[in-house]
Amino acid sequence: MNILYVEDNKINAMVMDKMLSKNDSNVIIAENGSKALKVVKNKNLDLILVDINLGLNQMDGCELLQRFRKLDILKNIPVFAVTAYAMPGDKQRFINIGFDNYFSKPVDFDKLLSVISSINPSKIGSN
Amino acid sequence: MPFTAEQFEILAEKTLHFLLIFKKNGKIVAFNNRCEVLFPFKNNQIKGKYITDFIIDDDVQVFKDSVATLNIQNSILSESFSFVTKDNTVLALKFNLTYHNDLIYAAGIDTTEEYKEHRALITLSKLTKTGAWYFNPKNKEMYWSRGCYRIKDLDPNTPMTRKRGASFYPVESRARLESYLDDLIENKEPYEYTEKIITAKGKEKWVKVVAQPVIYKNEVVYVNGTIADVTDRHNYIEKLKYNAETKHLALKGIQSGLFDHLIKKNEVFYSAEFKKMLGLPTDKDYVPEEIFRKMIHPDDLNKALQRHHENLKKEGNHYYNYYRLKNKKGKYRHYEVYGFRRKNEKGETTRMIGNLIDVHQKKMNEQTIIEGKSRLQAIVNNGFSYNVLLNTEGKILMADKKSLKLIKRDSNVDPTQTECHFIDVMPINFKNSFRHTFNEALKGNAVKKEIERINMQGDLQWLETKYTPIFNDDYKINSVLVSFHDISDRKLAEQAVTEAHIKEQELSNLKSNILSNFSHEIRTPLNGIMTISNIILKDNCPKDKKQLLTFLEESKDRLLETMNKLSNFSEIDIIKNNLNYEEVDLNYIVETSFREHKYMADTKKIQFTLELDESSPQAKLDINLFRLALNNIIHNAIKYTKDGKVSLSINSKVSKKNNYIYVKDTGIGIDKKDFDKIFEPLIQGSEGISREYEGTGIGLSLSKRYIEILEGKIKLKSKLGKGTVFTILIPKYI
Repeated sequence: MNILYVEDNKINAMVMDKMLSKNDSNVIIAENGSKALKVVKNKNLDLILVDINLGLNQMDGCELLQRFRKLDILKNIPVFAVTAYAMPGDKQRFINIGFDNYFSKPVDFDKLLSVISSINPSKIGSN
Repeated sequence: MPFTAEQFEILAEKTLHFLLIFKKNGKIVAFNNRCEVLFPFKNNQIKGKYITDFIIDDDVQVFKDSVATLNIQNSILSESFSFVTKDNTVLALKFNLTYHNDLIYAAGIDTTEEYKEHRALITLSKLTKTGAWYFNPKNKEMYWSRGCYRIKDLDPNTPMTRKRGASFYPVESRARLESYLDDLIENKEPYEYTEKIITAKGKEKWVKVVAQPVIYKNEVVYVNGTIADVTDRHNYIEKLKYNAETKHLALKGIQSGLFDHLIKKNEVFYSAEFKKMLGLPTDKDYVPEEIFRKMIHPDDLNKALQRHHENLKKEGNHYYNYYRLKNKKGKYRHYEVYGFRRKNEKGETTRMIGNLIDVHQKKMNEQTIIEGKSRLQAIVNNGFSYNVLLNTEGKILMADKKSLKLIKRDSNVDPTQTECHFIDVMPINFKNSFRHTFNEALKGNAVKKEIERINMQGDLQWLETKYTPIFNDDYKINSVLVSFHDISDRKLAEQAVTEAHIKEQELSNLKSNILSNFSHEIRTPLNGIMTISNIILKDNCPKDKKQLLTFLEESKDRLLETMNKLSNFSEIDIIKNNLNYEEVDLNYIVETSFREHKYMADTKKIQFTLELDESSPQAKLDINLFRLALNNIIHNAIKYTKDGKVSLSINSKVSKKNNYIYVKDTGIGIDKKDFDKIFEPLIQGSEGISREYEGTGIGLSLSKRYIEILEGKIKLKSKLGKGTVFTILIPKYI
């Protein structure tokens, strides 16, 4: 299963890779929006995880989502927000923008893995 | 000696009886010739048909029920059924039914004559809701007709006893009613009563019971009686009683009485209560007119008599008079008389029926008003406010000295001498809102308005105007009192408070934004810490290290919990929990906001205009929250407009659901790609706290949130360099 994770924080990107790789997933990291847009054109993806705050003066996760939505190849690919924005109302806001799901940081991996397994039960099994 | 088959055949054909053999389900097996008349078919077609096809509908169920009870133990029964014959007459037959070898042998005789009378009686009993009963005192047998059962909503097959019959009366009346029957048996006198019953279905009904003894050798052998459902009549009588009482109480309530005056005989009939009130003799039905005259106040008598005679000669049928009457305490009270005259063929009044109404209190009130008017004038003249009384057309009826002086000075008109409209002599800046507010007052609402003006010394002055509708006795508005009150001091204080409030709001916004950023910055590294410890914990590692990692997990959980609590403590929630919804006129609120920013616009030399909606659009909202939202937008519009104009308008006609408020400017405008961003403090927040706070982005985002809390919407249209229109949609309140 190919998962793209758009994340500017190197540590967070690394730990996500570790967690998901254990489940036979192939995690591709993109540290900003423009790199992510290049990746989606070259790889067959099953899932995209997007951080919202991608750094000063950078395209943020919301804008990136809008770009993704314009791409035909990503038509059926779920995009989740994975963010440290976790004030009351934030979840609803990101769901309203169009993310298929929302995970606040620190990420509850049990929950994330269970959602991923339900997207593609044949390729990923729970521990 | 038994019959031979042949003898039996002859007997069966010669007898006057109708003989039938059928199965339990009614299928006909055999019959004698006499039965042919019962069936509209040829002889050989009748076998195999069902008897229920030939009897009248009412009897079908009776047939089925009675046949069902037949069996070996209980094999004989007698029952009547009616048949419709070939020539459409009805034949009533009384059958003896015998059950034998799974067949029913029926022998019937023609009882049509008795049957007709019986049917007629049943119909009568049904229509009059009446039942018949008898009671035999010797063997205590109680018989009820079907009508009796129907009245009591009871199954007609219920066996009846005296005790069961009495059980339909309420407990408290049973003993009394039973004693009637005992007395009748002893004294041989008939009785009747009307009482309440509770039927088997629990319904309340009223019944009239009549009982008549049947005497044989000076002893009651049985009691014949009827029972009739008189619920409707009873209710009607109760209603009449109630109506009479209502009328009586109503007259008493207005302290008036009915009278009937027979002119020729010179007699006046008064209702009893009225006689009591006036201390007239109650033993007589009528009072001679002379006695009545003595009770009229001597000062009123001649004029009252004059009016009386004029009245009698008048065209038409009406009568009206008024005078003071002495009551039994010897005091005089004011009365008005309204009557209707009946005339003979010559047109002379012969009789008059009418109503004397006590109008004492009303008269007294009128007098107080006249006396009070001069006192009022004195109060008004010495008050701190300006007062002008207008009639419904807006003409000045009365004004205090200070107002008169002003009007004379500014318009050169003296309203006490010349008729003049208030609108023609009022200060110019009142005129805009006058018409609308005055109309509102004419609808019966007391209205308050605040008006800004420059006084003769050139200072800015705030006036509060109050429009108070004044009602006459019929609750119609006959005038409107307009009063002006200088509230400049209060206004200046209010403005200071508003400014302080805005500062406070900005601080609080800053606080919530810092919190949001803080939360984000904590959560990001926490994500790394948590996951790494989680990964190591799951890998194989020495026991002592594992212990330490568990501690790390615990500490991290605690930190996360604190963070969650902190996040939930957000401003918006507090606002939502402290909303204070009121019904408001949006014109009023928008106008207030307009005034609050007029100064700012004037200083920047920007044209600032206001257009209200004539229909005074209503909304239900928290005024303070709405004002904050609206003021933010107006503030912004003026701030980003260098020259040109800012206009504020309300329109309630755009949609059925919402009122529209437009804030239009000719300012710098907003780039389309920034439309969403200006409403999102969090997204901007990631680009640094300082920049965001500098701008007014935070204000707009709050405006949006506040309007959304109030179930409204904000829309935005803008062109860079051309200007911006913010539209606030706020639900109508009807």
